[in-house]
Amino acid sequence: MKSAAIEESNGDGKGSSKIKTLLSEIWKHRMVYTLLIPGLIWLIVFAYMPMGGLSLAFKDYKANLGICGSPWVGFENFTYVFRDPAFIDAVWRTLYINIIKLFIQFPFPILVALMLNELRMRRTKKLFQTVLTFPHFLSWIIVSGVVINVLAYDGLVNSALAMMNLPTINFLGSEKMFVPMIIFTDIWKSTGWGAIIYLAAISGIDQDQFESAEIDGASRMQQMFRITLPNILPTVTIMFILSVGGLMSSGFDQIFNLANAATKNVSEVLDVYIYRITFQSATDFSFSTAVSLFRSLVNMILLLLADRVAKMMGGDGLFR
Amino acid sequence: MSATVKSTTKYKKGKMTALDYFLLIVLIIAALLILIPFLNVIAISFSTPKEYADNPLMIFPKHPTLASYKALFSDGSILTGYWNTIKLLLAGLPLSLFLTSSMAYGLSRNKFPGKKLIFFLVLFTMIFNGGIVPLYLVMKTLHLTGSLWSVILVGSFSAFNMILMMNYFQSLPESLMESARLDGAGEWRILVSVVLPLAAPIMATITLFYGVAYWNSWYDAMIFLRKAEQLPLQNVLRAIIVESSTNASNASSVDAVGKQAFSTGMKMAAVFVTMVPIMCFFPMLQKHFAKGVLTGAIKT
Repeated sequence: MKSAAIEESNGDGKGSSKIKTLLSEIWKHRMVYTLLIPGLIWLIVFAYMPMGGLSLAFKDYKANLGICGSPWVGFENFTYVFRDPAFIDAVWRTLYINIIKLFIQFPFPILVALMLNELRMRRTKKLFQTVLTFPHFLSWIIVSGVVINVLAYDGLVNSALAMMNLPTINFLGSEKMFVPMIIFTDIWKSTGWGAIIYLAAISGIDQDQFESAEIDGASRMQQMFRITLPNILPTVTIMFILSVGGLMSSGFDQIFNLANAATKNVSEVLDVYIYRITFQSATDFSFSTAVSLFRSLVNMILLLLADRVAKMMGGDGLFR
Repeated sequence: MSATVKSTTKYKKGKMTALDYFLLIVLIIAALLILIPFLNVIAISFSTPKEYADNPLMIFPKHPTLASYKALFSDGSILTGYWNTIKLLLAGLPLSLFLTSSMAYGLSRNKFPGKKLIFFLVLFTMIFNGGIVPLYLVMKTLHLTGSLWSVILVGSFSAFNMILMMNYFQSLPESLMESARLDGAGEWRILVSVVLPLAAPIMATITLFYGVAYWNSWYDAMIFLRKAEQLPLQNVLRAIIVESSTNASNASSVDAVGKQAFSTGMKMAAVFVTMVPIMCFFPMLQKHFAKGVLTGAIKT
């Protein structure tokens, strides 16, 4: 039953007997395969068939011919894509927002995790954690409802500013404020959740290290910088890899729900661009598929590259 | 074990230092930054338009009223949305648990030919996907566009949740399954009567994860569904708050449910009504994810 039979197949023996052992292995595990069939059907229909549909990027899609019947056109769609100034703008805008996020937003969850960890009152710590993680579980539609209410011209923040005789700020309808507003609201929504992952890593640290440091007279700050931070570095690396891997996909849900007519010139990131050209303007499925393929490929390459770099620097990667 | 006991005593004997007060103050400010917007939303939903106009900074309404809620529910679209989302959950949760647990148990078994390949097929969907257009065309070919089943099916499997569950199944003692096998039980039988009863915590976690995902889903519905009366709650809410206020450019014809002007109170009532179930389930959610299940999943 155990793996002995499989190990055998690596050993000597002729090809035909190898195939025989393989077939008997498969037969022996036939029940296991039936377990996998429902999941595999889902994967094939809803993940791999659409991936096959990416061939549209190299075709001229005609609705009456279907995906398979449409004629091949090579890289023609891509030449159109790269000539579209709106596409180039969307790419730069996506990178711009994500790189700013990577620098400004990335440290917040780490800071919050360290602060929560240093807090001595356990009950209070739990309470803070509950409050800070709550927004993560709400959709961006709900959160934009809250954000639009609070940041509106006559909303909470501007009313407070007016009461203190400070100038009011047009948070939602000005091009200048759009990116800061996006970054702030994303920090607001996701920091607590991000901190959970680091807190889990901190709780996995061997307590003896802190004790011997305590005996050696290390202050809490020293313990934080010399023990806690180095110990959670692998987790930090993983989260960083994931962020780099997502450089080309910038929260469609958030931007789509917080953008409006006044900010439409600064809010069209790649995902919003794909949505617009696919479902709003004159639909050219081949063209939008080419853009999607570009986006998915760049994301995958970035993820694998970041993973490789992290491993080269001696850290842990995403995949072993 | 002794280490944790010692460290708690260490915490007890420590006095509040300047650092502690500093941390407490920073965290209180952070918590208020999160709480106040929600309290404001709730307060507005229970107040009269006049009271709101007089005092937008309100956290507690002085004369609470249900007028906004009455107006919201008499419009009816929010109830339709609620019902559609409940349909999503009723059909989607059993289906997703079936797909996820059977595959997770299958992949948690000892080596068998093709295991690595199948696991790679799952993992690959996490780093690469076909995007929305091919998916839309697949849905159209299957005649699922315009049916709630499109949203149910798309959300019914998540590689991430499957890997979480698989890791848990792998940690169960093999001897239990082995003895069931010697008694002549098949793998499906073992899954149902041996593994699942032992896996209550992970099943609860995964149910909550899928539940929240279905509750919050709106993009698939916006793409695949056509009629207003089919749209789930989130899309109805979107029509009420986002589209009626600003988004002339982004408004899709699909979710043009509420074109009439909604008062601020009604919008906030809609936000609150959509948020309440998550608020109720949130303590349970937190209990499960806090245990570091997530880090286990990220690193596989």
